[in-house]
Amino acid sequence: MDNDYSKLGLTTEELFAPIDHNDMESEKITAPRYSYWQSVFRVFFRNRLNIVILVLLLTLIAFAYLYPMLTEYDKFGNLMNPEAKHLSPRLAIKQFGFSIKWILGAGASGQSTFDAVWNGSRISISLALICAAINMTVGVVVGAIWGFSKRVDAVMMEVYNIIGNVPYILFISVMVMLFTASFWTMVLALTITGWLGIAYFIRTQVVIIRDREYNLASRCLGTSTMKIAMKNILPFMTSVIVTLLATEIPSYISYEVFLAYIGMGLSEMSLGRLIFEAESAMVTPGWGFEFWSPVAVASIITVVLYVLGQNLGDASDPRTHM
Amino acid sequence: MELFLFPCIAIEVGETDVTKYLLKRLLHGAVSIVVVVAVVMTLIYSLSNRDLVFAGDALFTKQTNNNRVTYSYMRWEEYGYLDYVPYADWLLELQHNGEIDEETRVEAVAIGRTADNDSETAKEYAEKFREHYESQGYTVERLDAVLNGRRVANGGQQALFAHKDKPLIGRLFSYFANIIDVDSVHDVQEDIPDRGVTFTWHDPVYGGKFAPAIMGNGTTHKYLLYFDDKFPFIHQNIATIRLGTSYSVNYGIDVFKTMTRSQGSYVQTTTTFPTGLVEESADDLHTATYIPGSRTSSVIYEDRFTDDYTNVEVVKNGMSKLGYSFVIGIIAVALSYCLGVPIGIMMARKKDKLIDKLGTIYIVFIIAVPSLAYIFLFKALGGKIGLPTTFIMESSSKLMFVLPIVSLALPSIANLMKWLRRYMIDQMNSDYVKFARSGGLSEGEIFSKHILKNAAIPIVHGIPGQLLFAMTGAIITERVYVVPGAGNLLTEAIGKHDNGVIVGVALFYAILSVVSIILGDILMATVDPRISFSTKDR
Repeated sequence: MDNDYSKLGLTTEELFAPIDHNDMESEKITAPRYSYWQSVFRVFFRNRLNIVILVLLLTLIAFAYLYPMLTEYDKFGNLMNPEAKHLSPRLAIKQFGFSIKWILGAGASGQSTFDAVWNGSRISISLALICAAINMTVGVVVGAIWGFSKRVDAVMMEVYNIIGNVPYILFISVMVMLFTASFWTMVLALTITGWLGIAYFIRTQVVIIRDREYNLASRCLGTSTMKIAMKNILPFMTSVIVTLLATEIPSYISYEVFLAYIGMGLSEMSLGRLIFEAESAMVTPGWGFEFWSPVAVASIITVVLYVLGQNLGDASDPRTHM
Repeated sequence: MELFLFPCIAIEVGETDVTKYLLKRLLHGAVSIVVVVAVVMTLIYSLSNRDLVFAGDALFTKQTNNNRVTYSYMRWEEYGYLDYVPYADWLLELQHNGEIDEETRVEAVAIGRTADNDSETAKEYAEKFREHYESQGYTVERLDAVLNGRRVANGGQQALFAHKDKPLIGRLFSYFANIIDVDSVHDVQEDIPDRGVTFTWHDPVYGGKFAPAIMGNGTTHKYLLYFDDKFPFIHQNIATIRLGTSYSVNYGIDVFKTMTRSQGSYVQTTTTFPTGLVEESADDLHTATYIPGSRTSSVIYEDRFTDDYTNVEVVKNGMSKLGYSFVIGIIAVALSYCLGVPIGIMMARKKDKLIDKLGTIYIVFIIAVPSLAYIFLFKALGGKIGLPTTFIMESSSKLMFVLPIVSLALPSIANLMKWLRRYMIDQMNSDYVKFARSGGLSEGEIFSKHILKNAAIPIVHGIPGQLLFAMTGAIITERVYVVPGAGNLLTEAIGKHDNGVIVGVALFYAILSVVSIILGDILMATVDPRISFSTKDR
């Protein structure tokens, strides 16, 4: 063991050569530059599947937001035309000539199912995005405070236990009864207690991270709570928040569909409303397209949003950045 | 999340601590239930728009002028929003109490078209009425006659009445005070001979055969305790649970009864009525309740009954709303644990292999796709392979249960798979597993003896909740397959503004939820000896 180096034939001077001390050199950080979001996207795009899904999502959004702008959609345009009602795609194309408008057939009042579906998607996606934005913002902020303050925790736990026991549809139906069932009523109904679950989730995460050793050390060194929250805990939570967002956005679309189905939905022709109105068409031979098209589009949108969000959530976890 | 599921690592705890802890939890739960009912009552009675009860009311549209106003108040009283006292009713009550005689009442009730036209007596009593009710916080309203030329317009008769919104505290108190209705011999208001409770060895329903029964006279129910051939063989009518009387869903019937009484078509058996008449009838004489003066009101009753206990329930061949929901729910829960647990374990053991990937696709499908969409998908697929897609109570085929059960089980299987896999993978990376492996245990042993036991603890917590909430039914599943279950009761009640039912169902849900959380904690503590019921949370 002692004479290992002598076998290499080197003298002691050669093994330990004095080097000039350089102040400037010692200040240099030799680790590669690390940018968090750059790494997130690097990891995210490394998976080819994500690119495919992203393209799919952009196509869906283009159809939902741009297509209705470019085309004229009048639900009752063909109301007086008895030939135009409940057409399968084949019959509709025969009737009106081939156009993208008729590839999904026609609905109960002779409207194009294709147009109806994209108009509905626009309303449903907008509703989901707005509700998610409100609930996530309120939920994360309240959840952070909830997790940090023991006094707030005691009060909020009671509120959470009680509100959690009131059937959710009750809140929604009272909102719908109080105001008319418009878009913004639905936003209010979905956000009035919706943030509570998110806040509880965030609170639990904060409680887990709050007492970790590095935060304890930070507090001992005199870091303010605000700074601990912003610099020590929030970065840790990013992937959790993104993952949560991935489940939240599709869930509002699903919820809207559910509410519409039980007759408490929007008055606008959202995807849920379309499904609700076309339910009887499901069992009628030849009318299937008007029912299954909104169901399929709603499913595709929710799956795409969910998978994309989950993968983004995975990518935003710094442990995957190696 | 995990941290929260293990409230405290225990040292030894005494027996008394457990009792104390449970009592505290139960008390806490009870308070939370009361607050839930208060919140629900505020939502439906104070916040919602009460004009909407007339939305589907054909009678309301026929009412005009003052009649429409009085009709509205009458209906609102029936829906439980307020107390409404018409002037004439108050006078009748005075007469009933002997404060005024018939003549004065007739004179007083005839108020003028306007207050100035009142006769002396009418003026006096109208003023008394106003004073009496205003001192109690009522609003007294007088509507002058609406004239059409010189004649009173259609529905335009003058009206005098008092009304008051029920205060929340009083409403809450009377609701909880009446939740358990104990039958007493003074329940019947009318004069009847021989009030009292009698015990007999020979139940008259069985024609004098040996069957003990306790019968009451003056009680609401005729039979207070009796035996029959249905589970649990001994039945009582002494205490009745009352969750709230329905108005528009099932007129006059309590929510609890709406949920628990059997549905379907009549089952007729040879019945001997109290008068000795024997016939094929579906009447269940053990359920007889008192209706004043009913026996003499109808020949049918006169032929069959010897007293006014004529209101009987009928025997039907179907299950109750709760029954159908519970059967479907409980089988679905059993199925989901039988499938979800092994598949979840397999996914964790073969992480990143084919089975894990397929399972993940399934989980994503269930989570992301709206539940409505996949339930319809399964309905369509089930219909293709010849399973019945609608529920018919009369049908003897058990196959109609298949699709609702499958539709209910699929999402909970996905949920179980997701969490079990997640918990097991978390455990797989922990130090004790590495230690066990280094100690030479086989992978099978590590999984079954160590990882599964630890991963199952949070899963166990949800079992009581799953079992209890099987009763409440699932809204979409029951709607899609037309199951006559309890799932749609709340939505139906909301749609029909049946406030009594809404409050009753909300209370039912709240009780189930509180009980299932407490049971879940107890179960978790029995499975995991490290968890204790000490009062400190963390």
